[in-house]
Amino acid sequence: MVIVPATTGQMGVLPGHVATIAELKPGVLSVHEGNETTKYFVSSGFVFIHANSFADIIAVEAVPLDQIDANLVQKGLVEFTQKLSSATTDLEKAEAQIGIDVHSALNSALTG
Amino acid sequence: MASNAAVPFWRAAGMTYITYSNICANLVRNCLKEPYKAEALSREKVHFSISKWTDGKPEKATLRSDSPDE
Repeated sequence: MVIVPATTGQMGVLPGHVATIAELKPGVLSVHEGNETTKYFVSSGFVFIHANSFADIIAVEAVPLDQIDANLVQKGLVEFTQKLSSATTDLEKAEAQIGIDVHSALNSALTG
Repeated sequence: MASNAAVPFWRAAGMTYITYSNICANLVRNCLKEPYKAEALSREKVHFSISKWTDGKPEKATLRSDSPDE
C-alpha cells in the first residue's frame, strides 16, 4: 500500500484502486511493503493511479527523509514566517505562504 | 451551475502551477543535508539559448545560464 499526500488529504492506494489523478501537496509519501515502510518527502506533483493497479508519482523533488536537515527546516520556517508578516504584494504573500507550507510539511515529516 | 471551485492561494496571486511547483522544489533542495544538497543544486541549473523572432527570422541568440536565485 502507498500513502500519498494529496491536496485533499492523505490518500491510501491499494491494488485495485479506482483510476484517479490527484494533485499532491508537499508531504510524505510512504510505501508499505509487507512489514517494511519506505518514506519520501515529495515537494509537490501528481499521482496517476491507473486502472491496472499501477500508480505513477510525478514530483520535481522526492527525497528520502534522512536526507533532510532539521536545522535548515527550522531556520526556513522562521524566515518565511517573518517574510509573510513583512510581505506587501499578493505575490510576496503567496511566496511566503508557500515557504511556510513547505517548511511546516518538512517539519512534520521529520517529527511525525 | 456553480462557479469555479476556490482557486489555490498561489493561483489567486497570479502564479502558475509550474512556478509554484518549482518554488516548492527549490525550498526542499535548500533543506537537504550536505552531500545531497550539492547534487540537488546541480539539478537546479539551467542553460539555454534564447532568440527573438521578427518577420519569420530569428535575431541574434543569447546564451543564458540562470542561477537558481534567478
